[in-house]
Amino acid sequence: MATETGDRPTRRQFLRRAVGTAAVLGMGKLMTQPDPKMRHYPDRIPVRYWHMLGGQWQAPMERVVQLFNESQTKYEVVPLLLPYEGADSKFMLSVIGDDPPDVMLQWTQAISTWANAGIIQPLDPLMTPAEKAHFLKTVYPVIRKSGWHNGRLYGLVDGFDFWACYYRPDHFREAGLDPDHFPETLEELTEVGKKLHRFDNAGNIRRIGFLPTGFPQFAPLFRGKFYDYKTGKLTLNTPENLRALTYLVEERKRLGFEKVIRFNSSLASDSGVEWPFITGAFSIVVDGEWRVQQMAQYAPNMEYRTAPIPPPATGGQRLAGYCGPNYLTIPKGARQVEGAWEFMKFFSGLVLPERAAEFYIWMSWLPLQAASTNAPVYQAFLNRLPQYRTFLQMAASEYIEVVPPVPDQLYLMDRIKRAEDLATRGALTPQQALEQLEADMAKEHQRRKELGYDE
Amino acid sequence: MKQKNLVGYAFISPWLFGFLVFTAGPFLTSIYLSFTRYNIITPPHWVGPANYHVLLTGDPLFWKALSVTFQYALFALPLGIVAGVALALLLNLDLMGISVFRTIFYLPSIVPSVATSVIFLWILNPEIGLVNGLLRNFGIVGPAWLQDTAWSLKSLILMSVWGVGGSMVIYLAGLKDIPSHLYEAALIDGASAWHRVRHITLPMLTPVIFFNLIMGVIGTFQYFTEAYIMTQGGPEDSTLFYALYLFQRAWRYLDMGYASAMAWALFLVVMALTGILFRTQRRWVHYGN
Repeated sequence: MATETGDRPTRRQFLRRAVGTAAVLGMGKLMTQPDPKMRHYPDRIPVRYWHMLGGQWQAPMERVVQLFNESQTKYEVVPLLLPYEGADSKFMLSVIGDDPPDVMLQWTQAISTWANAGIIQPLDPLMTPAEKAHFLKTVYPVIRKSGWHNGRLYGLVDGFDFWACYYRPDHFREAGLDPDHFPETLEELTEVGKKLHRFDNAGNIRRIGFLPTGFPQFAPLFRGKFYDYKTGKLTLNTPENLRALTYLVEERKRLGFEKVIRFNSSLASDSGVEWPFITGAFSIVVDGEWRVQQMAQYAPNMEYRTAPIPPPATGGQRLAGYCGPNYLTIPKGARQVEGAWEFMKFFSGLVLPERAAEFYIWMSWLPLQAASTNAPVYQAFLNRLPQYRTFLQMAASEYIEVVPPVPDQLYLMDRIKRAEDLATRGALTPQQALEQLEADMAKEHQRRKELGYDE
Repeated sequence: MKQKNLVGYAFISPWLFGFLVFTAGPFLTSIYLSFTRYNIITPPHWVGPANYHVLLTGDPLFWKALSVTFQYALFALPLGIVAGVALALLLNLDLMGISVFRTIFYLPSIVPSVATSVIFLWILNPEIGLVNGLLRNFGIVGPAWLQDTAWSLKSLILMSVWGVGGSMVIYLAGLKDIPSHLYEAALIDGASAWHRVRHITLPMLTPVIFFNLIMGVIGTFQYFTEAYIMTQGGPEDSTLFYALYLFQRAWRYLDMGYASAMAWALFLVVMALTGILFRTQRRWVHYGN
């Protein structure tokens, strides 16, 4: 359409274009800012915080954020709850699109992978030398080795999961066992488990006494591990790992692989009041510390106890196991790194650990350091739920392993899981499964080398 | 004329824009990316044909995934065609309320794959599932389906029949297109029902079968959602479909260059299969002329 004055736009057209441009720019600005409704301190610098803590954890999480914001004059943390499914993809896309959050809490065990790819940034440059020294001195041993890649700290642990035995004294008594004397060795535990199994007339499982599963959780009990921190090499096909895998396979074979699948399939749910330990389908289970709080919520009157998984009688290691931490990370391209770091220190308890003890109680998590654990408020919590003490015992142990800090750690853990699957199904012997695991990883390293990764 | 063309282009410009930006752009970019080492965040680094070389010579999972996908296609495609044509023949009968039946059989194909997958997780549960519950009534102990290496892929193949309603509608339309005078002539000649199906219906339906076969080949080689939700490739990689492995490489192991090479290898496989099918069509597809 021609304009009234040839090529030059009329005043009305000029105004329309100006308004249109302003609207587009305004929309763009709005889309990159936190929703104003989520802001309580609009004058402060927003720190965008993404997490996946829904359900029972959402309210305590928001309370922590509120307390941080109340303690501040400069920053306001604006939380955003992401659904777990797809959270990693959304996080990565936000980094690619240069619009990431300033801080993200996540539990995918991929710190090295993400650090190697440049998705997250190192945190130790944000620490003063005194802070770093204090951090390394005060946190539990397992925290000290978590979140590092190539000598840099990329993930600050904020809550971590351990696996230990939950057992039912009523089942012990029913089987003529003494619940006050939990087995000291894995062999004893296995024998106790056999006495607690229940079958129907057709030989189908009706109750499992004890069934060990989880290669990463059991390997350290046999002094096995998947990574040597001194040499920086994977240690997959070792006699210790073989002993651990053989034990898991033999126990599964004893009950019958197919029978266990069918028994597990008959269970209604794995959470809440339907957790098979609560319903009585299991007498002893290996599970994480988060169940303690759930037990208090869903089965407050049920008697149960916790204990570390005992090691084998010979060549074993007490208080050994595997840990899966939650990490606070700062992505590449984060706008408010300083604000993010302030919040991370506050939340994790690196500053004022006694106050952070309260956060850990609200979240039902294990603190990072003894200073939080020893806080009177946390001790009162432990007196109320003494089952947590088992997990704190493990936190203080030097023999807890985490995912090896190698760039292909997700591939590695997938392959380890597959090796356990192949061996327990009987498709391969434990020795063959470990040999194949080692060969798979060698091929993967060769592949990465040929493509020039990890240079 | 020129102005008319411009108006036409203006009308289709939203689609053109979408096509160029969201289809053609990524399509062409992925060719370049397949020759690079690219972890999504840092800039792509040219590695030449190394991705393709490693794919063919140093990645056993590539061959495993390809094999699983071929096996699925080999059984699911014929099964889908037979079930689709059989259903269409039944639903082409002149019965009272037939449109209700057509709707019922079509409905599953519009249920989202995610919902279907979740429902089938229950249907195929070894202990409390519908299938094993029915088998138990006949004294048969059903397998562990998705958790059994021998049955997991077969379970997904059987499950594919659930969504046959989409192709069934196309077969039904094809059946309606067959001229009635052919059947009338056959009846006069004394042809039985089976002979009419064998010598009139099926030959006249072959263009539609061919179309569905081509679309099916393309679809099965992109099979993803059900495997992602129901099995995650297990047990023992028995359901590690090509698209699932590609996704893992791209987004889990952050190897987008390699995943792009996988995508192009898949494209070539699908193109080759489609080409073979097009070459064979002269022998078995009848266009009525």
